[in-house]
Amino acid sequence: MPSVTFEHVSKRFGEVTVVEDFDLQVADGELLVLVGGSGSGKSTILRMLAGLETVTTGKIWIDDRDVTPLPPRDRDVAMVFQDYGLYPHMTVRENLSLGLRLRKVPRDEIERRVTWAAGMLRLEPLLERRPKQLSGGQRQRVAMGRAMVREPLVFLFDEPLSNLDAGLRAQMRIEIGGLQRRLGTTTVYVTHDQVEAMTLGDRIVVLADGKIQQIGRPIELYLAPVNRFVAGFIGTPSMNFVDGRLQTDDGALAFMTEGARVKLPGKLLPSENESASVTLGIRPEDLNVDLAANGTPNSDDALLGKIVLVERLGGTSHIHFEVGPHRLMASVSADSLPDVGDTITIQVPAERVHLFGSDGRALS
Amino acid sequence: MKTFRRVALYAGLTIAAITFIYPFLWMASATFKPPIEVGSLSLIPNHITFDNYRTMWARAPFGRALLNSAFVATTITLAVLLFGSMTAYAMARLSFRGRPVLNAATIAVLLVPGQLTLIPLYTLIVQLGWIDTYAALIVPYLFNATAILMLRQFFLQIPQSLIDSARMDGMGELRILFTIFWPLSKPVLSIVAIFTFMGSWNEVLWPLLVVRDQHLMTLPQLLTVFALGGGAGTIGVSLASAMVLVVPVVIAYAFLQRNFIESMAGAGIKG
Amino acid sequence: MRAEERSGSLLAAPYAAFLLIFAVYPIAFALALVFMQWDLVTTPSFAGFDNVRLLANDGRFWRAVANTFVFLSIHVPLQIASALALALALNRRLVLRGFWRASFFLPVVISGAVVAILWSHLYATDVGLINRLLARIGLNPVPWLTDPATAMPAIAVMVTWKNVGFYVIIYLAGLQYIPRSCQEAIEIEGASAWQRFRYLTLPSLLPQTLLVVTLSTINGFQLFIEPYVMTGGGPLRRTYSVVLYLYTNAFAYQKMGYAATIGVALALIIGMVVFIQRRTIGRTEAL
Repeated sequence: MPSVTFEHVSKRFGEVTVVEDFDLQVADGELLVLVGGSGSGKSTILRMLAGLETVTTGKIWIDDRDVTPLPPRDRDVAMVFQDYGLYPHMTVRENLSLGLRLRKVPRDEIERRVTWAAGMLRLEPLLERRPKQLSGGQRQRVAMGRAMVREPLVFLFDEPLSNLDAGLRAQMRIEIGGLQRRLGTTTVYVTHDQVEAMTLGDRIVVLADGKIQQIGRPIELYLAPVNRFVAGFIGTPSMNFVDGRLQTDDGALAFMTEGARVKLPGKLLPSENESASVTLGIRPEDLNVDLAANGTPNSDDALLGKIVLVERLGGTSHIHFEVGPHRLMASVSADSLPDVGDTITIQVPAERVHLFGSDGRALS
Repeated sequence: MKTFRRVALYAGLTIAAITFIYPFLWMASATFKPPIEVGSLSLIPNHITFDNYRTMWARAPFGRALLNSAFVATTITLAVLLFGSMTAYAMARLSFRGRPVLNAATIAVLLVPGQLTLIPLYTLIVQLGWIDTYAALIVPYLFNATAILMLRQFFLQIPQSLIDSARMDGMGELRILFTIFWPLSKPVLSIVAIFTFMGSWNEVLWPLLVVRDQHLMTLPQLLTVFALGGGAGTIGVSLASAMVLVVPVVIAYAFLQRNFIESMAGAGIKG
Repeated sequence: MRAEERSGSLLAAPYAAFLLIFAVYPIAFALALVFMQWDLVTTPSFAGFDNVRLLANDGRFWRAVANTFVFLSIHVPLQIASALALALALNRRLVLRGFWRASFFLPVVISGAVVAILWSHLYATDVGLINRLLARIGLNPVPWLTDPATAMPAIAVMVTWKNVGFYVIIYLAGLQYIPRSCQEAIEIEGASAWQRFRYLTLPSLLPQTLLVVTLSTINGFQLFIEPYVMTGGGPLRRTYSVVLYLYTNAFAYQKMGYAATIGVALALIIGMVVFIQRRTIGRTEAL
């Protein structure tokens, strides 16, 4: 039985549709990540599940209970907010226990849960402090503790890491993931950061303009994005895109664009028009760059690129280069790198190529 | 040159401070002087007497007026804090139909001079049969547009996530207001409390219109009537009656002067 | 949220009702009263433009308006000058800064009725403190409140004294906003203290000055308790204020329609004067 079900949920603010016909099932114990840019509707979906926003049309179920008309307190969900939402005038202990006290949980039970959560989150020495006296990471853990003591059916996270600096963010990401696996509580996690989504999510829902773009396990989204948006959104650095046409060359399919031609596996589908305009996508890490063969194509489907920028990141480096009018980037791990102005040879492995039609959908 | 400037600055400040303080000190000392000494500039009476206070207390119900003023000002202040913060919370943090109209009306009310509505308000009180009642002194002041705007402004800055957390924790709106917003709004609440209390405590014109019964008069009103009606007789008695009004304020001001200045100046600018 | 909508309306409803009864209705009724005659006892009767016509030719009303302008012509400049001077004095590193500030503000917290009673004794011709001080330096006593020429100026000075602390705070707040870099820049230009004041401080404080002008003007038009207590409007009606006249018409003569007409006229005059002030001072800003 799914733990959370969205059934044709839409949300409109006046004339503006923020979420349109949203359908989703979250499995019991799953960590599901909603990822998208600002205005994608991800936070609204989470807030509707929390009961903080009403649903315009559709239904939301938690287990087998229709919670659509229920206020937040009756939904048995707990939420961690981006700016934590800790009560500034209360101590950590009071912050953790308030929700339970309001629900008339017996005193010793409250004590037990607070001790348990504080232990798991290493908050014991901080229990009598106020939020102002805590660091960002500590506040973050208090916010999680407040959700944990409630022992809810579902955890909701609304961009919980975006107020932390990069180092702490990576550390807290690991903590949240570990915690969720240990507790096994169904979790819906909203973020704009696709790295968080990839590393944390059992499954990821990619959203844009209030609509689901793709649902899948992280690796599925990475390997088989269903449209150009998902392809560009998932993966760092971002996928390269080149506009061009499809052509059949002596029975073999090829991608043609100014200054380049890429052989493709398979045949042109009958429904596809000859010379349909398409976009080719290739991830920077999938490009094979021959750093040694300066300026001489070593096979007939290799491309020649002129380097315009080299970013050395230590382990890997980003080489920005131009092929004809197109600008692309390859990610390589090598110690000796070419210089700006050099020409390099690039192989485009046909099996790694993504093709998108003019409507942005992936072509198979 | 530099030292001379400093000396001149402090001399100027001292003269200014004396100008503001000395009249009140003189007033205080005059109330302890027998009539023959009142005219003297000296602050220390040759013969200390409490006759002025005895006379004043005997001739008009100042004790009752003190209680009236305290009761009216306290009730109004509590109402303005309570109702004002409820209204401000709704106007700042809850969406409901008519909210924009209410916001605009609140600002519009502040732009209308009080003299315009003075007479119709007075006739309204007459028609309600509220002349010579506490209701006449209190009800028209139960809400204060300046207070509502100040509270609303403050409430707007409280993060939404606190409201969300509180709702997730199972609180209703009133509970959020009083257990989350109030503790966080102490500065603005104290500002509102002080200027509301002081406004009510010092108000004369409205009581003069709606109260004629001596036993319902507020302190500044009774003071005015007493001084004008010749009930005081001597300067000492007249000033002694004024002391009843001044002393509580000066004591409060001595302890909370920072809050007073912030509050009364702030309300004046915003009002 | 439906629940939110419900609690919102519920929480705001009492205030909405209050506004209707104690703000909207009185404003509407004030305008209606302009065209009525009413003594509060008999039923009100329609009076057309009688009240307006009466007001236009009412020497006492216009005397009160003229008195107010006399008051303002002394009060407003004096208020600006004194508040500015005290604020500039306070706006430096001072020993006992809090004490100076608190002492200037003291009269602001004291009831206007008390101040009026106190000052009527200070101004008293024979035993008044001020005349005693004058006598000490060999000057003749001045009949401050009983001479038609000095009565209104005396009240204006007193009101300035009472309110100056309030405006000092406004100017002090304005002085905080003059950027340090500007002050340092003009000092490097080699400006004298007067030049710094004339070309940096004063123009920077224009918004505060505008506020002082507006608030003290409105305050002046609301003058009531001071003449009521100190002079009863005399001598020769030279301290009669508009609000005192309004109060007398309502309370002593029971002329509600006429009193309301005075109130509406006063509101219009305040609006016009403040508008003209803002336009003229606003224009100097453009220069």
